[in-house]
Amino acid sequence: MSEVVVIGAGLGGLMAACELAGAGLPVRLISQGEGSLSLSNGTVDLLGYAPDLVWDPLSRINQIAPPHPYQVIGSDNVRRAVAALTSHLPDGYLVGQASQNQLVPTALGAWRPTALLPASLAPPQPKDQSRWLIVGFDRVKDFYPKLVAANLSRTKIPGGGRVTAIPVRIDLPDNPGLPGGDVSAMTVARAFDQPDFAAAVGRQLAQAAGQAEADAIGVPAVLGTAGHDAWRQVSQAAGRPVFEIGLVPPSPPGFRLNQLLLARARQLGVRLATGARVTGFQANQGRIVQLTTDAAGHGQTYEPTAVVYFPGGFESGAIAMDSTYNLAETLFDLPLAGLAPVSQLISPSYSPNQTIFQVGVQTDKAMRPLTDGGEPVYTNLYAGGGLLAGAIRWTEQSGEGIVLGSAMAAVRGLLDGIGQDLEPKLAAAHGRRTQLSSSHPGQTPNWTDGAP
Amino acid sequence: MDEVRRLSAEVVVIGGGSTGCGVARDAAMRGFSTILVERADLAQGTSGRFHGLLHSGARYAVSDPESATECCVENRILKRIQPDAIEPTGGWFVALEGDGPDYSDKFLRAMERNGLPHEEVRLALARRLEPRLTRRAVQVISVDDAAVDGWALALGTVRSALEYGARVLRYTEVKGIGLTGGRTSTVHCRDRRSGEDFVIEAGFIINAAGPWVGRVATLLGIEDVTVEPAQGIMVAVSQRLVSRVLNRLRYPGDGDIMVPAQTVSIIGTTDAPASDPDRLVMPRDKIQQMLDCGEALVPGFRQARGLHCWVGARPLIRDDSVKPAETRKMRRGMFIFDHASRDGVEGMLSVAGGKLTTYRLMAQEVVDQMCLKLGSPRRCRTASEPVPPPPTDHFVAGQVTKPGAGAEAPEIEQPDWPISPAGRQRPTGPRHITDRLAEAESTRADDQIICECELVSRRALVSALRRHPDDSLDDLRRRLRIGMGPCQGGFCAARSAGIACQEDAWSAGQAVAALRLFLRNRWIGQQPLVYGELLKQIALDNWMLYGTLGLEQLPASQEVVL
Repeated sequence: MSEVVVIGAGLGGLMAACELAGAGLPVRLISQGEGSLSLSNGTVDLLGYAPDLVWDPLSRINQIAPPHPYQVIGSDNVRRAVAALTSHLPDGYLVGQASQNQLVPTALGAWRPTALLPASLAPPQPKDQSRWLIVGFDRVKDFYPKLVAANLSRTKIPGGGRVTAIPVRIDLPDNPGLPGGDVSAMTVARAFDQPDFAAAVGRQLAQAAGQAEADAIGVPAVLGTAGHDAWRQVSQAAGRPVFEIGLVPPSPPGFRLNQLLLARARQLGVRLATGARVTGFQANQGRIVQLTTDAAGHGQTYEPTAVVYFPGGFESGAIAMDSTYNLAETLFDLPLAGLAPVSQLISPSYSPNQTIFQVGVQTDKAMRPLTDGGEPVYTNLYAGGGLLAGAIRWTEQSGEGIVLGSAMAAVRGLLDGIGQDLEPKLAAAHGRRTQLSSSHPGQTPNWTDGAP
Repeated sequence: MDEVRRLSAEVVVIGGGSTGCGVARDAAMRGFSTILVERADLAQGTSGRFHGLLHSGARYAVSDPESATECCVENRILKRIQPDAIEPTGGWFVALEGDGPDYSDKFLRAMERNGLPHEEVRLALARRLEPRLTRRAVQVISVDDAAVDGWALALGTVRSALEYGARVLRYTEVKGIGLTGGRTSTVHCRDRRSGEDFVIEAGFIINAAGPWVGRVATLLGIEDVTVEPAQGIMVAVSQRLVSRVLNRLRYPGDGDIMVPAQTVSIIGTTDAPASDPDRLVMPRDKIQQMLDCGEALVPGFRQARGLHCWVGARPLIRDDSVKPAETRKMRRGMFIFDHASRDGVEGMLSVAGGKLTTYRLMAQEVVDQMCLKLGSPRRCRTASEPVPPPPTDHFVAGQVTKPGAGAEAPEIEQPDWPISPAGRQRPTGPRHITDRLAEAESTRADDQIICECELVSRRALVSALRRHPDDSLDDLRRRLRIGMGPCQGGFCAARSAGIACQEDAWSAGQAVAALRLFLRNRWIGQQPLVYGELLKQIALDNWMLYGTLGLEQLPASQEVVL
């Protein structure tokens, strides 16, 4: 059956799948595992440093020095992608805007620029003399309030002055859901899913904030695993603004975002094949015509009309180097830009900005990976996200922006190609389902997994 | 101007590697008041940069039978007195197709002749016991090799020395040695952490600085104690791919030893001259050579997750200038320099060469010689008295020494438990990963694991921080193994910095500086192995440390300006 196959269930794959399904295309989302979004801290970083602190990411995206993925993606795709992401989430779930960075505290007490973020992670505007209570929970081992508070307090905030951050450590109430002292942030977050527990902690926070005369309360990002209900309950009981501070994985805000987008994808009719690794493919006349997956117990083949490929980058192993220092894109063996002898890619001096992390795939405006000669490798393969060459995402704070913008560019490129490139049948299906989904997205025919 | 602080001791030991620690223990056990000074952390030099093999002697059976016999004897002694630092894995010598029977025949004859325990292992059994061993193996002989943890060995030895009243000054560099009437009288030191200069009045000096022994001798104007450091590269991959030490059954050469040590497998080593033990290099082609050697013994070695590589300097001695009558040239390359007969300077002996396996014997012989010179023969007891386990999480209240908080010395290591008149209480510390797992399971309800890879508990970290508030994250790593597993500190380094701040051991600025220094130091041994899983890990660690935690935005200076 004709379908677009999206490979990768991170932010890029989920976004592309939702957009394509929303446009009426039959979509299958294949992923090796859960996707990286649940490992992220939930913020939408567009561009934080270029290399100096950026305040208006949207306008800086088009001025960025080459070579960079944003040169191909362009700010228009980023703007559209942010709007699309917002539309796929509950109203008010994300706050902030693409044209205005804000500074948020990290779990080391640094101030980090981001554009949009879940409402629960947004602190009040930091002002000179603001008194913030920074609360650590005994069970959370990636958040130490004295370090966070001291670093926040010693930083001059833009506009002058400093926030006064007061550290306090709180023992969480006993709860059957919290066995022992050594639990993960996700286990703590599940305890917060119980309204009584959330309210009890909120009252502890109210008392501590009262003693410290604090006007806002920062806590590690463990307030529940689903949406923002627990955050609201805690805030209400605390009687003051409460904000979460993002954690290293496992990170509940990323998990929540992942759950919401997965639910949205299902609602839009995306068929999910999770736990299936794409291991091979066949091409014919410059098009990918078949994909093979290796899932538990048996393999499966798919015959996609088009492939949207968002497998991540170095962190997922989509771009990998073997022990003899040969780099490759591991599924389609796509040409890589930025290759050089290993001694030029990895420096003996430590830096997070090793040149190797700029190696990646180059694409045309429709996000089709290009050969060295500048031609699409396959006319129906669209790729983006961590695969793209030319960015050190963690230093630029540009990860989500590149993923979202390239997903939007890939979706638009793919849709533009319909009629010229895709089968007429698919174009017809596209027209039919657009009608359905544009007015009543919730009533899109429910495509069940594996149905013909 | 302030008066320079003066300490005094009957014996000052220079160098905190295995030999220096052994000398300090031996001297203190014989009743000498002893101070050990070490330029960096204990066992940070060669004693922490080898492959972790406790020799059975088999490796030297053909080339140097006497030293083989000594290794065999010391191996048994150390297994008895220092079991906490040693894992008696056993070892095999393995001949591969194409190695030829020549060496194997010589080897077996030499083992017989010297009475070194060995046994031929049938190939079918060998393959069952070591399923990853290459199918190219044609002959397997088992010997008494073992795995030894150099840090645990040194820390346990020092612990014993402390019990006997020795003092240990880490991060203390010797800047000069004073003479009075042709005899050494003072050791001039600088605390490298506080910058303070101080003096130790020394009755006798034992220079046990390993590859740096010649440099210490030059402080007396003696230029011809020539160390020719030979550098050896080691590569560690995650997991124990084999259960026992594997040696190639051939003339000793590069990369023919694989040791299962703690949670990793180590392949080593190379042998190349180095001009400066402070500037050793790890060229990529040598790393590739080691990976090939690993692959030859254990197919798939290249697919294993690379963790870390390091290079150590063997303290090889060249001493053309002296005749055998003047210095006693020890077998197995061990030297004791008598600077009185050799250079006309009384009151100092230098010891170098040798192997970690024979550290105790080296200490015994040099202290024996010192006793003779001092006219005070005292019996050595190190071969029979057990060494306590290295400190783990035992903290005795009131022993915190903090700079500026009334500390009487730059840093003095304290014994970790009171010595009762009834005899020493001997806490057994968890040393192996399975011990740490058992402990973690028993304290799951009220303690947290801070380093999941190496199962280091929060309690152990806090107790180490209290005892050694000046420790860097690397010092803590050597004590506790934090940051040595697959994530290479991605999670636990930031956690440890946070805990140090939370426990008021470090300021926020110190915590950030410590974290950055740790990452910089770890990178040295990571970067040649950044491929495969470690490349993925570095990307993930960068996402966490920079993408999520914003480490780049946090300078160590007092005020942060964005």
